[in-house]
Amino acid sequence: MAVETARTEYWRWTESRWTSPDIDWRNGGVISGGVDVGSVSTQAVVMVDGKLYCYSNMRTGSDSPESANQAMAWALDGTGLTIDKLHATVGTGYGRVNVPFATKAITEIACHARGGNFMYGPSVRTILDMGGQDCKAIQCDEKGKVVSFLMNDKCAAGTGRGMEVFADLLGVHITEVGQLSLKVETEPPPVSSTCVVFAKSEASGLLRQGWAKERVLAAYCSAMAHRVGTLLERIGVIKEFAITGGIAKNPGVVNRLAKELNIQPLTTTMDSQIAGAIGAALFAKALHEKKGRS
Amino acid sequence: MIEKYKEWYEARHEYAVQWKKKTGGKVLGYFCTYVPEEILYAAGVLPVRILGSHEPQSVTEPHIFAMFCPFCRDCLAQGLLGRFHYLDGIMISQSCLHLRQAYTSWDLHIPTQFSYYLPMPHHVQSRHAVPFLRAELETFRKRVEDWTGTTIGDADLRRGIQIVDRNRELLRTAYETRKREDVPMSGLEAMYMVVSSQMVDKAEHTQVTEDVVRVLEGRSAGRSGTRRLMILGSENDDVAFVDMVESAGATIVQDDHCTGSRYFWDKVDANGGDPLTQIAERYVRRLPCPTKDWPARRRIERIVQFAKEWDVAGAIIIQQKFCDPHEIDIPAIRKALESAEVKVLFLELDVTVPVGQFKIRVEAFLEMFAGDDLF
Repeated sequence: MAVETARTEYWRWTESRWTSPDIDWRNGGVISGGVDVGSVSTQAVVMVDGKLYCYSNMRTGSDSPESANQAMAWALDGTGLTIDKLHATVGTGYGRVNVPFATKAITEIACHARGGNFMYGPSVRTILDMGGQDCKAIQCDEKGKVVSFLMNDKCAAGTGRGMEVFADLLGVHITEVGQLSLKVETEPPPVSSTCVVFAKSEASGLLRQGWAKERVLAAYCSAMAHRVGTLLERIGVIKEFAITGGIAKNPGVVNRLAKELNIQPLTTTMDSQIAGAIGAALFAKALHEKKGRS
Repeated sequence: MIEKYKEWYEARHEYAVQWKKKTGGKVLGYFCTYVPEEILYAAGVLPVRILGSHEPQSVTEPHIFAMFCPFCRDCLAQGLLGRFHYLDGIMISQSCLHLRQAYTSWDLHIPTQFSYYLPMPHHVQSRHAVPFLRAELETFRKRVEDWTGTTIGDADLRRGIQIVDRNRELLRTAYETRKREDVPMSGLEAMYMVVSSQMVDKAEHTQVTEDVVRVLEGRSAGRSGTRRLMILGSENDDVAFVDMVESAGATIVQDDHCTGSRYFWDKVDANGGDPLTQIAERYVRRLPCPTKDWPARRRIERIVQFAKEWDVAGAIIIQQKFCDPHEIDIPAIRKALESAEVKVLFLELDVTVPVGQFKIRVEAFLEMFAGDDLF
């Protein structure tokens, strides 16, 4: 009989949900929803009169409409709210056109700028969205409107998926990768390729040469910081600067990027992964109010 | 009748086979729009442009460097895959290094009766360019005469000029109608129109275009309310890409492509003088490709003029990956357009376009034009 051994999925980050203890949607005016169906994760946000009321953050499944439904159902769990009570909802992310209950689809570029403005304040001019499978450098104005943007090209280098692959390769939980990578006495040279597959081969080689895990992670985080750093330099980094998306939670990349660009990113108490969904929910509110006016 | 262009585009190979059967004439495949089609028409040869198919392929790897542009690889692939089996000859006029590689590799692996490399001068701004090219055209005329067994006299050349010029004139008239606020044709229709003119007998194309131009007078493409854009770059016959852009809420109203305005904008305008000199003058002073647009960048002036006259809000610059001549002009073009208050989106194309990944960029670009009512 085959023996099944337990296998830890180091890449698997914890899905989460949250409800504001201070808001009762029954007393509110406009209830708006935002759903960001990304390539790796999906977030659903509900805002009441433009204030964050509840959200969920979970992995995207193979079926985008189903992921959107599940994320919103989980966000609303225990609130007494139902999807039909949302006045308007905007879908964003790769699956933006597949959100069954959405009023409109808006790109995650516009939504991250809008959400970044909400989370980090109107002084933000440059936003780096480090997502699961791509990376976007966005410049916006004081209202959170996109002025210009750049995206990385086809490959998954410099993205959350790459970090997940490394967590698994080294057997370090994804949430600990960043901190561990900072525990090196001297900074190793970055891995030479940031293509995930090639970087993984290179890392395997380094491990065989006897490199410690933290050193390999430092080399990868450093390569990733350099790669997104060049993307940002192409668009120009104007203060203030903020990072959204999952990698914003990885100090191994964030600290190195801050050092490379010589600019400290703003911080937030909110979950950096929900920026796109927040932006979508704010657009949904504006769409509902615009409809009321016309 | 405007649908005819799309039919021709999609059945380009069948068309050429039929044309040969019908006329008994020779078909020549050419790699670059600096090829003097006037001389080929004068000899009764049908010039057809060698373009790619935008499909993934694995046949060119042994023949062309992977860091050469996707277009030159896609073109060579068509030859290696036998799709242009009916060609009696091929030619190139001195073009960029990458496309020359496609031509020489084709010449090596797919022998045809006739193969010609026309040394078109790169330095077209030199005062020697016209006499140099005129002399080269004289040699070329003789080679075509030997190949076809015909004599190409000045009267034949004038007829060739007349055939090609009439088509150019009509394409330009059609483009002029796109200045209207209610555009009479979509960017996709315009692309089919021009690209098909590189695939079919100009006399036949002209006949259809005479009618199309009349129809455009009273036609609306039903695209009001969409954002007016122009599109710039080297070769572009990527209909899926243009369709995606136009479905996202934009209308392409003008372009700078060698499958678009650069191909037909300038005429020869024969005036009774020496036709070979006039043809040489036309190719030397035509809207240039960046390989020939130096030391002064004449192309940028025309791009900005187009942007203003066709009243575009934004421009999409599409760059064939690894195309250095085009890439080197991009900062200057971007600067010129942005000073004229035209927003710019830059996209880098490979043989196959990841439509999804470009769609988000195009949609986000179009969202930037929206007012502030959602803020």
